[in-house]
Amino acid sequence: MANFDWTLASLTLILTGIGLILIYSAVSPMGEAGKIFITRQILWCLLAMIMSAVFLLFDYSFLEDWAFWLYASIILSLLIVWAVGRVTAGSRRWIEIGFMRFQPSEFAKPIIVVILAKYLSTRENQSSLSLPELVRLMAIVLAPALLVLAQPDLGTAIVILLISVSLILFVGISRNAFVVIGLFAGAAIPLLIYLGDKILLDYQKKRIITFLYPDSDPLGAGYHIVQSQIAIGSGGVFGSGFLQGTQNQLMFLPVKHTDFIFSILAEEWGFLGCLALFVLFGLLFIKSLTIVGKARNEFGALLAFGAISIIFWHVFINTGMVMGLLPVVGVPLSFISYGGSSLMAGYFCVSMVLNVSMRRFHYK
Amino acid sequence: MPFKSKTTIIKTGKLEPDRYAFRAKIAGVFMMTALLLLTGKLWSLQLLQSQSYAEQAYNNRVRLVRLPPSRGKILDSKGRVLAQNIPSFTFSVIPAELEKNRLLIQTYSEILGLPEERIRSLIDRSRSGPKFINFPIKKNLTIEEVSRIESTLADLKGATLETKPLRKYPFKESLCHVIGHLGEISSDELSKSSQLGYRSGDLIGKSGIEIEYESHLKGEEGWEQVEIDAKGHRLDKVSRRAPKAGSDVTLTIDVEFQKYLEDIFYQSAGAIVAIDPDTGRVLAMVSKPAFDLNMFSPSISERNWKELNGDHLHPLENRCIRGLYSPASAFKIITALAVLNEKAFSPDRRFICKGQMEIGGQIFRCWNAHGHGSVNLHRAIVESCDIYFYEAGLKLGPDRIAKYATLFGLGTPTFCGLPQELPGLAPTPKWKARGHSDPWKDGETITMSIGQGYLVSTPIQLAVMTAAVANGGRLMRPAVVQRITSSDGAVTFEHTPVVRSEIQLNPGIMAQVESAMKDVVIDPKGTGKKCRIANLNIYAKTGTSQVIRAKERIKEDDRIPYHERTHAIFIAYVKDQPRKIALAVIVEHGGGGGSSAGPIARKALAKYYGLPDPGDSEEK
Repeated sequence: MANFDWTLASLTLILTGIGLILIYSAVSPMGEAGKIFITRQILWCLLAMIMSAVFLLFDYSFLEDWAFWLYASIILSLLIVWAVGRVTAGSRRWIEIGFMRFQPSEFAKPIIVVILAKYLSTRENQSSLSLPELVRLMAIVLAPALLVLAQPDLGTAIVILLISVSLILFVGISRNAFVVIGLFAGAAIPLLIYLGDKILLDYQKKRIITFLYPDSDPLGAGYHIVQSQIAIGSGGVFGSGFLQGTQNQLMFLPVKHTDFIFSILAEEWGFLGCLALFVLFGLLFIKSLTIVGKARNEFGALLAFGAISIIFWHVFINTGMVMGLLPVVGVPLSFISYGGSSLMAGYFCVSMVLNVSMRRFHYK
Repeated sequence: MPFKSKTTIIKTGKLEPDRYAFRAKIAGVFMMTALLLLTGKLWSLQLLQSQSYAEQAYNNRVRLVRLPPSRGKILDSKGRVLAQNIPSFTFSVIPAELEKNRLLIQTYSEILGLPEERIRSLIDRSRSGPKFINFPIKKNLTIEEVSRIESTLADLKGATLETKPLRKYPFKESLCHVIGHLGEISSDELSKSSQLGYRSGDLIGKSGIEIEYESHLKGEEGWEQVEIDAKGHRLDKVSRRAPKAGSDVTLTIDVEFQKYLEDIFYQSAGAIVAIDPDTGRVLAMVSKPAFDLNMFSPSISERNWKELNGDHLHPLENRCIRGLYSPASAFKIITALAVLNEKAFSPDRRFICKGQMEIGGQIFRCWNAHGHGSVNLHRAIVESCDIYFYEAGLKLGPDRIAKYATLFGLGTPTFCGLPQELPGLAPTPKWKARGHSDPWKDGETITMSIGQGYLVSTPIQLAVMTAAVANGGRLMRPAVVQRITSSDGAVTFEHTPVVRSEIQLNPGIMAQVESAMKDVVIDPKGTGKKCRIANLNIYAKTGTSQVIRAKERIKEDDRIPYHERTHAIFIAYVKDQPRKIALAVIVEHGGGGGSSAGPIARKALAKYYGLPDPGDSEEK
């Protein structure tokens, strides 16, 4: 335990604690009916901690051996969700396991990091990625990304792509590949716009249109953005105080205990509260990136980097969309948003970083 | 401990530690920049624009209120209202605003006629739900209650009146299957992209015209931006987009004629479909048993739902489009047309009916155990001789019979514009080979030639088939919707007749079959003589569909248990009048086609042409 990174672990626990306080605030206007959310989230926290502790007992190299099977099982789970998953809020994202509902797309993200780290660390030469290699990588990524998109869960699909791009850029791509991709992208954008029009579901298109023109639909999708901006803006420097946010308490805010929880922080704890949260996340990122630089091998470095980039993109996209900087795509705020699968996946990511940190020296 | 000093014990040896440490730093810079960008936006929202947002939040909070559109009406062909929305009032409390509880309970207990205890317990229950969402205390208030409550609202905080539209069906059971019912939108329906604009809790068509024409009937939702103060009280309207009422759907059916048919159909289960052979317009569509549509408005009670669903006669099913029956001897019309058109044998060719015949070691009986003697095509139709059609079936073979069944619309849905229509089945040996291990037998050919066996059809298919005979071979697409009129009065849809196909028959064939169908009614031995009306040329054919295999002939019908009795079928048309009509009547377990379905057809035709019903005495 000498190398256990207490700072990283403490940051995670503090963030989880903030999350519980905000969820409490979010569900309090629901009266008695809201209490169940708190109980459930606490149970999920305990489960996530136990899972992390067990995971830390083993050297992360087992992930390298299991990468293929993890990947295969997540593809299978996504296929199951696609086929028989249960319908929630307009899309299939769940698998029922006994009393629990489990959302495979949340776990797809860390598992894609595992398989990419394995693939990238076992290459023959260490030069930048060539074009054929990139094509193979994209094939690995696109299978789960398309299944997630079919759920339909645009947010997670985007995060999967962003993580993969982050890892690829981290390893570096050759100049040739860069030029070809540049040309290809230039040609593909009109095609993508055309396909996007065909493939994206009406509600997804609507969200993008509403992002561009929030006033076009004040009753539907634009309502989210307008109301959450009012909540954030009205928070001011110091916020209205715990349980005092009128936007929250009068139930103006939609899905606020999940995707829009940041607006409650902003309304009730103000700019200072948000700043504190950003500082905590910033410390988490910097601490993790230091660990990336110290990893004992390439797999470990890529694993830790991928894991932290998952958290980063979640934080960036979620807070960005709540503030009206990005379209509303339904990405939870790691450690803070209500939801078991998201919390478990977040803990799994931090555990991977912790594991890489603990075993940065090779004792063989 | 710095990384470099340990490179010697690193396993792979191909690691470039500096490279990753450096890139991690770049990533760090990138992430910090992103966080700074977010902080910048936060700064702009919370510090620069905080004032204006705070004003919106504290003083002039704008709450958006949905203004649901008024659902379109469903009308009969004469413009009578079959389904429409009327306002209904609900008295609710807002838990967070309740102040003078005792006074409130006393006041409304008196107005609503509810015991104080009951109101108190409802208010207690409301506290466990959302604090600012209305909690209903009493629904469907009378006008008197509404006016008395209105006068008290100013003094008592936390009480409120809500208006909600209620679907009303003035004709109750009439046309219930065609009109269809509404219900709360399900999560499945919500998830479908075509249904944008719905929220959970909305009512949506669940069956019949209500579901099929949902997009027309629904209308467009409007909204209202309402200013409310920090405690949630309404102050003023800011802006508003009025809802657009849904379109009205006018049916082709005259509800007066429909209701008459429903009333004369005293038997427990069955169906009548009447259509205009020239246009395909449905004139009546009776499915029995029926149910009162008002039961579903605003929502059906648990008990009623269980009762309707558990009823073994399935009152919710529209038998006209979903009931599968053997057409039985009514199908002999098609077999006869096939014989003539395929020149299988001459219409004058005679067969001797001895009441039974043997095929492949098995005895096949005619319904008349005594036999019909020597019969040609004409007599075989008039007296509905089975033996003649067994011979015809053997000569034609199953594929040719199936071909004519298909030509006359059996085996495919009629596309009448009602949901969940069943296609029925026109079987062929090829079809049987797909799902059964044993091959097609001659016995199956001959049962098919008299409309039994695997061959099944819906009442509307029989009506369309009859219409195709009546209009000289045009297979029409039946229609129940005559017109759709938008809320501003513009006609957005008007029915025009659609011919699905022209059935090519050699000239003169139809006339031969028709003369036999005329004699079915007129001839003293005709099976349809109970349908006789003086001065009206009626063409008809009877059918008696076996429900179980009749091994033993039991003479007295009364002794057979209900569910084992045969279905009675009657098809008929009138074509030499300015208004034509073709109809199919099916009485489940009604016994013989002529005796129980025939009189219904006669009364229907008499009513349609405004003639007095001669009554059943005619047969004597």
